[in-house]
Amino acid sequence: MHLADWITMILTVLLIPCFGLWKGRGSKTTDDYLRAGKSMPWYAMGLSIMATQASAVTFIATTGQAYVDGMRFVQFYFGLPVAMVILSATAVPIFHRAGVYTAYEYLEKRFDARTRALAATVFLIQRGMAVGLSMYAPAIVMSVIFGWPDRITTLVIGIICVVYTTKGGIPAVTWTDVMQMSVIFAGLILGLVTVVSLLPHGVGFADAVYLAGTVGKLNAVDLKFDPNNRYNLWSGLIGGGFLALGYFGCDQSQVQRYLTGKSEAQSRLSLLFNAMAKVPMQFFILFVGAMVFVFYLFAQPPMLFEKDAMAVVSNQPGYAAVQAGFDKAWERRKHAAELIDAARKRDDSAALARSTAEYRAAQTDVDAARKVGIDLYKKVRGGDFNDTNYIFLTFVTKYFPLGIVGLVIGVIFTAAMSSSSGELNSLATVSVVDLYRRHFKPEASDTHYLMVSRIFTAIWGAWAVVFAQYAKQLGSLVEAVNQIGSFFYPVLLGVFILAFFFRRVGGTAAFWAMLLGEATIVACATFTKVAFLWYNVIGAVAVVVFGVLLSLAQRDAPGQEA
Amino acid sequence: MRFIEPVVEVRNCEPPPILGRWRNINLLVLGWLAFLIVLFYAFTRYFS
Repeated sequence: MHLADWITMILTVLLIPCFGLWKGRGSKTTDDYLRAGKSMPWYAMGLSIMATQASAVTFIATTGQAYVDGMRFVQFYFGLPVAMVILSATAVPIFHRAGVYTAYEYLEKRFDARTRALAATVFLIQRGMAVGLSMYAPAIVMSVIFGWPDRITTLVIGIICVVYTTKGGIPAVTWTDVMQMSVIFAGLILGLVTVVSLLPHGVGFADAVYLAGTVGKLNAVDLKFDPNNRYNLWSGLIGGGFLALGYFGCDQSQVQRYLTGKSEAQSRLSLLFNAMAKVPMQFFILFVGAMVFVFYLFAQPPMLFEKDAMAVVSNQPGYAAVQAGFDKAWERRKHAAELIDAARKRDDSAALARSTAEYRAAQTDVDAARKVGIDLYKKVRGGDFNDTNYIFLTFVTKYFPLGIVGLVIGVIFTAAMSSSSGELNSLATVSVVDLYRRHFKPEASDTHYLMVSRIFTAIWGAWAVVFAQYAKQLGSLVEAVNQIGSFFYPVLLGVFILAFFFRRVGGTAAFWAMLLGEATIVACATFTKVAFLWYNVIGAVAVVVFGVLLSLAQRDAPGQEA
Repeated sequence: MRFIEPVVEVRNCEPPPILGRWRNINLLVLGWLAFLIVLFYAFTRYFS
């Protein structure tokens, strides 16, 4: 990177947390530190929720996803607005009126202490593993693209995050998130403008959209119901809806954002703002990826975007023939794309139809040639191969103008910090409120709890950095850890559904229903081939069914709670 | 035995700052989602 890029990146990464610390200064009580004294306006909470949810990989991988697979991934978010409407009408008023610091504190008011402790522990296990990966994921990408040591990158992200989260608490985290999200939006717009401006002379925006759409890169909506197809309208609305209900309604890293609202109405608005902004934002990110695809119609892309994988493949016998096949297919596609552009300018529909057919056939050839390269890599290294995380950054570092590269890298670091800081803050809150204060030291001064909250934030930060240092050794387990959310969220969602809507279900039934629900998910994972996204539905339904049945059984047993 | 009563009464929420009632805002959000799905579908059909 050039000096200008280093300066832009460092300014982006350092100045924003400083702003957050300044804006969120003066946390003198536990309530200030953990709930911002219930003073946040809706737009700050809304942007903070979006920032916590959007990790670095969201920006790196989503653009790459559109390049490879088109825009159908946007359907995954269709259930989110529905979930937001449900939660803003149920969870937000319930949590606000209960006056709780954490979602799990409400479970004790509704059920009993052990149900609360179990839910809090489930959250700590799941989020404790995720926070290390939030820090590690961008580091591994930077190490491949720039050769930066991933341990140092993780350490730098971790230290900055821990400093501003420990010092400023949730006010600093929220105001930092607001600025970070603004920079992310600006970076995305700048990214799209730059991609389009880099297209060859004569290829306009309309031509680019036509070229992307012709080979299915703009396939945003698929109405056909197919359980084997991961992304269609129905899996997005149902599976995505359940996932969003679990994430925004039961995960403290999200719940804590809207508990800081100055009023119930402000908190409800923050979720509904997220409901309206999230889908267009994801569409926009995917569209940037589709435009990167169009750019690479005219500038030759590497056969594999991951440098290490390319190095492995290039040392194999037969590589020259594979690369030559890819080059030839790409030349054919480029020629067809130029013919389309010329035919569109002449308004020659017959030539356009011919060149479009040729372009589609050439795209199939390019995909097939790339697959041969991937197969060659897999033959040497085994396992799966996925280089979508490297596509956007490869493009940015090679073609973006001076200064803008630094800004985009800064945005990616910023996204990593915004999600990690929210996670650290929520982990500390649950550790202090649901475990330490509840079970170990219930009668201490507010100053003591404030100090302990800071200590727990630092401890979880240190844990995240250490966990991230060893994430590389987890190998294929990284994918497994990413799927852990689908093992735990459904159980939390199920117990909150019982709490909100099933008045007769008591603490004992809820506690055992959680354990039986978790056992059901483990059984599904062990004995069936059901895709892990469906665990969200199966687990939540299992907890509700077990809760109701156990409650009925208890009611029939004399002397038991109803 | 009824299982559909909310445990906490959430109907008496303070009104939203715009559109008068929460129901109107919820309808706006769901209408916006429906509009986006239709728009994206038309986008998909037109450019494919």
